[in-house]
Amino acid sequence: MSTGTQLWMGASSHQFFQSKRRYRQRQLTNQLMLSLTGLFMFLAVIPLFWIIGYVILKGGQYINLSFFTHLPTPLGVVGGGVLNAIEGTVVLTVLASLFAVPPGILAAYYVAFRPNSVLGTIVRFGTDVLSGVPSIIVGLFIYALVVKSQGHFSALAGAIALAILMLPIIVRTTEEMIKLVPNSLREGALALGSPEWKTALSVTLPAAAQGIVTGILLGIARASGETAPLLFTALGNDNYDIGNIIRSGIATHQGVFTILGSIIGQPVDSLPLTLWKYAQQPYPERINQAWAAALVLIIVVLLINILARVWVQIQTHRMQGK
Amino acid sequence: MTLKIRSSIAMENKAPAVVLPMDTASIPGTIQPVNENKIEIQDFSFYYGNFKALGNINMLVPANQIIAIIGPSGCGKSTFLRSINRMNDLVPNIHTEGQVCLNGEDILGQGVDVVDVRRRVGMVFQRPNPFPKSIYENVAYGPRLYGIGKSHGLDEIVYNALKQAALWDEVKDKLHQSAMALSGGQQQRLCIARALAVEPEVILMDEPASALDPVATLKIEELMQTLKETYTIIIVTHNMQQAARVSDFTAFMMIDNPQTRTGVLVEYGPTAQIFTNPKNKQTEDYVTGRFG
Repeated sequence: MSTGTQLWMGASSHQFFQSKRRYRQRQLTNQLMLSLTGLFMFLAVIPLFWIIGYVILKGGQYINLSFFTHLPTPLGVVGGGVLNAIEGTVVLTVLASLFAVPPGILAAYYVAFRPNSVLGTIVRFGTDVLSGVPSIIVGLFIYALVVKSQGHFSALAGAIALAILMLPIIVRTTEEMIKLVPNSLREGALALGSPEWKTALSVTLPAAAQGIVTGILLGIARASGETAPLLFTALGNDNYDIGNIIRSGIATHQGVFTILGSIIGQPVDSLPLTLWKYAQQPYPERINQAWAAALVLIIVVLLINILARVWVQIQTHRMQGK
Repeated sequence: MTLKIRSSIAMENKAPAVVLPMDTASIPGTIQPVNENKIEIQDFSFYYGNFKALGNINMLVPANQIIAIIGPSGCGKSTFLRSINRMNDLVPNIHTEGQVCLNGEDILGQGVDVVDVRRRVGMVFQRPNPFPKSIYENVAYGPRLYGIGKSHGLDEIVYNALKQAALWDEVKDKLHQSAMALSGGQQQRLCIARALAVEPEVILMDEPASALDPVATLKIEELMQTLKETYTIIIVTHNMQQAARVSDFTAFMMIDNPQTRTGVLVEYGPTAQIFTNPKNKQTEDYVTGRFG
């Protein structure tokens, strides 16, 4: 064998690779590394199942129908639920999504197609910084900006604070997803004479829909689990009941907008906020209800995630003709 | 098809802006006019920032003919093609000089509606790029842009476009299934149908068969022969056999020198002449495979 094929320590390539001992060693290393990655994969999912299991164990027994349909009872009175917090969470999340999703997607579209423009750089840097701002600071900011100037806490202020937290998540994921859409698709539409805005609405954004929806969901999941920004903005409200507001609004012949105004204009509770308040009280029934609230919160967030992922899967398969 | 044979002098009278050199046969970019000229390109230069990508191109494109553009990679063939329907507008920092006239009207001029230019000059791309929608929706996309709905005979337009693109028989039973499930060749014919649905005058094809197998390529080439009765076709191709097979006229482009790397039109003429008896040494070297 020529010197050119000589490998380390003078062993020829032939001897080196055919050696039984080397082969055994490689197999062992392979098995060792494989079991290590498997083990750590297992360790990584332990917290998830532990948390879910523990919350089900502690809170599951306190969940019943009235937990979902009744307002909290005064201390010492048995029963009562967290209807106010469930409704508040829905109102806050829907409002926050309304505030964050349209500007988030538009900004992402701009950044995706003008990445090197001055404004594009600023927006990208800005969203990065914004995603690192502690949520309680956002709460304080909205307190100063909205609550102080309005003179009262409200669902509106809470939703704005949550929207600010959702915005960077939506912008960054949407931007990445739009960039993944092949440019040839966009060119195909433009070559037919489609204006840029129609191309975006009818081709680019639908093609990226799967990722965009995932981004929005991540944002919603983050917003619906936040407590800190709501402390100074939504505050909490034991008597919040949308049904009551609508009934009394109709009884006093208020317009639709007045009723909507009072739905978003007053302080509301949310599940994490209730959880936080109940968990630090010394009364066992409140603690138990906090566990139950935690369980409901986890289930809601999981359900949103699972449903949306299934929907997105179906859509993608339909588009790809499977 | 009756050919309107017009002398260069007659054309000069009609459109004074077109200055044809006296010895038309020896100058690149000029050919003896056969049909009425669909596109007249005069002194066209194209810049990416300060880089001159295309220099002083003169070219007359007769109607209802197939024009092939050949040349080595990086000589600006695609840039040139994409200038004809202003797809280059999407690139920042570009500017052009000279004129590209469609039916005698400069499409590079101020105040020209780009959307209208792109409707009249359709484009088929290198890789099939159907939208992730149904076959029907892909073809209907263009007409819908111009406000044509079901009540205005959209179904008929879709039928005609698919028929013209020789795709109807293969897809008539699955119009509402996703276009992504079609084969590569079918997808490319769908893209042609999509371009035809807006009734363009010119179709630009940027290596339309380079991602396809030989059978699908043959189908596209046959299709081009039927399409040229209605449309004027300009095709960029790396495949010289393809250029020789399908085109009536061939343009050979090359970079002028390795320093400036500006693409120029070296020779332009009837395909048979370019491939059998080129006037230019570089053309001869290229078509005989000595470089490129």
